[in-house]
Amino acid sequence: MNKLDSVHFNINGAAGQTFDAIVIGSGISGGWSAKELCDKGLKTLLLERGRNVEHIKDYPTTNMMPWEFEHREKMPLEITKENPIVSKCYNFKESSAHFFVKDKEHPYVQEKPFDWIRGYQVGGKSLLWARQTQRWSKYDFEGPARDGFAVEWPISYDDLAPWYSHVERFAGIAGNKDGLDVLPDGEFLPPHELNCVERHFSDQVARNYGGKRHVIIGRCAHVTEAKPIHLDQGRAKCQHRVMCERGCPFGGYFSSNASTIPWAMKSGKLTLKPDSVVHSIIYDDKKGKTVGVRVIDAHTLKMTEYFARVIFVNAAAMNTNLILLNSISSRFPNGLGNDSGVLGKYIAFHNYRARISGRYNGYLDKKTDGRRPNGGYIPRFRNVYKQETDFLRGYAAGFSAWRSSGNDSSGWGEDLKKGLHQNKFTDWGVGSHMMGETIPKESNYVRLDPQLKDLHGIPQLSFHVDYDDNDEKMVKDYQEQMTEMFEKAGFTDIRVTDGHGYPGLDIHEMGGVRMGKDPKTSILNGWNQVHAAPNVFVTDGACMTSTSTQNPSLTYMALSARAADYAAKQLKRGEL
Amino acid sequence: MRRREAIRTLTGIFGTTLLVPSWANGWKENHFSKPSLLSEPQKQILTKLVDAILPKTDTPGGNELGVQVFVERMIQDCFDDSVQNRFRNELDKMDAAARDLRGKRFTELNAPERLSIIKYWSSQNDTPEKEFASSVKGLAVQGYTSSEYYLTQVSKYELVPARYHGCVDINS
Repeated sequence: MNKLDSVHFNINGAAGQTFDAIVIGSGISGGWSAKELCDKGLKTLLLERGRNVEHIKDYPTTNMMPWEFEHREKMPLEITKENPIVSKCYNFKESSAHFFVKDKEHPYVQEKPFDWIRGYQVGGKSLLWARQTQRWSKYDFEGPARDGFAVEWPISYDDLAPWYSHVERFAGIAGNKDGLDVLPDGEFLPPHELNCVERHFSDQVARNYGGKRHVIIGRCAHVTEAKPIHLDQGRAKCQHRVMCERGCPFGGYFSSNASTIPWAMKSGKLTLKPDSVVHSIIYDDKKGKTVGVRVIDAHTLKMTEYFARVIFVNAAAMNTNLILLNSISSRFPNGLGNDSGVLGKYIAFHNYRARISGRYNGYLDKKTDGRRPNGGYIPRFRNVYKQETDFLRGYAAGFSAWRSSGNDSSGWGEDLKKGLHQNKFTDWGVGSHMMGETIPKESNYVRLDPQLKDLHGIPQLSFHVDYDDNDEKMVKDYQEQMTEMFEKAGFTDIRVTDGHGYPGLDIHEMGGVRMGKDPKTSILNGWNQVHAAPNVFVTDGACMTSTSTQNPSLTYMALSARAADYAAKQLKRGEL
Repeated sequence: MRRREAIRTLTGIFGTTLLVPSWANGWKENHFSKPSLLSEPQKQILTKLVDAILPKTDTPGGNELGVQVFVERMIQDCFDDSVQNRFRNELDKMDAAARDLRGKRFTELNAPERLSIIKYWSSQNDTPEKEFASSVKGLAVQGYTSSEYYLTQVSKYELVPARYHGCVDINS
């Protein structure tokens, strides 16, 4: 029996179901939208499709020792067989599996293979993210216009810079002021340290490439020095446990759970509703505007409507596409705001396929001490100022070195016991992975499957997203360039790989509801506002016109805060 | 009296009252399931095999750390039927090899005799015996080096390092 049959409509609600603002999704961008709207005094409803996860209280594995995991973090075969998609994610393990969506919970269609990694709970994937927070530069925003792909961004770096500062101060971003135009500095807390071999590589790369390539410490969302603004959130200094995906009892890294949601709660303006699956946004054809959202209770499947003057869609990039595509009215028969026909199209992501590893036989009298929730970072150096290769755009890269130490397990019996009780250092290991910009194309799209529904009776999302020749060339170039950089730095045993991972596994899927200057070719304007439905704002990854190379979350945070500020001002002027 | 599941209060080292959720109540090894992949005789062979690979010396042996239970649990829960069947077969073959070579059951052999069989298997090329020797040793070493004893007493694992220094003297 179709579960839709059991959905009950409740359209008589009003009091208790009417708010100034509704935010759909409590992940990294939704948390920011909610916080900013509450800070502006707006009565805000924050809807989350998954269960509630309260900071600390709902982190069941956070203080567990390695030996307390039955399979030492390896997932049992029964689970990996049932969940071939999420099992590919590096972070899906015994200590964190409860924060991931299992394959059967929310099925989707793969016209082309796409690994859709999701976290449905209060806080979303902000509990699981890799916490790298690099700003975009003007070269990134200018990319589509200069290189003639996608559409021109309606905003520039200068429009976003103050909002980067705004979110960085609150979230707590550790970083070094490197003074690079390709990766602007931010409001940094003290940086983590590059280790000896990373510094060696940084020096060698600077020398060998005339100061045009850089190896720096990553900027990341860790409180390396707790300022009053962090203490006010109830967060403390990061303790370098590096088990962030379990949830952090110190609030040492930024998550919605540790930061924006409890902050918004304190304002007294926030209503948080978990287990609330948004079906669609309500467009009132008589009033000629959107008036609210339809929500299905995840357990009872009852449908309720909630009303507000402004709606922020932060459902995570692909689910935001799904909600807009499923929001059908006479005014918008092809999805909310979709006069241009581009809704769901121009999906892009980051190309993480290639890796390189090697060894370094220097600094043998040195080691590292403690753990670091961060790594080295190589900002994009290809095609930055002008086109110089046979592919468009470029890649950034992670880079880390570590001193391998371990026991000797070569023997048997008493010899083995002796070997295991020695701690021998070998040489240093080095490794890097690429983060390539992909070009948004009309042929990379998501759409609603015409037949298949999910457990809530909502159409399944169908993915048609793939790599192209530009990506293949970039993989090859990364491998060649990094090999040369490794060789020049004296690294040995160099091995390059192409993991051929499917799109999606990067968990940086973006686009489909892109920003642009022209309503004929985009869905959102420069304030992340739907051109044709101005009280709807989209500020998660769906809004991205292009992807650049930087880990995207910081940019979503800044866009969310900026759009919420604008929306609140417009509301007060009576313009929404 | 609150229920076990309820949040309990503790007095922290700073004299303030800390709220600690129920999951922080402490862990016991017997929270783990007991594997049931092997027959009782096979369990005994595996136990004696782990004892030969990781004997008790002036440091704990594999058996007292429950390494044989870990090996069985991993094969049972994390590997497919064909691996599990081969694992059981090879344990039986180990017993047969003991009878052929020494005229005794594997469990009756002394440690050097037991070790000589698994080392011989390990020295082969591309045989099921070689594969068995590698996997049983790999899992035994993993079980030993991820045990509470090893991580606290030998490798000095820290749950909360609270620091990272990128370049210190190797002997520090």
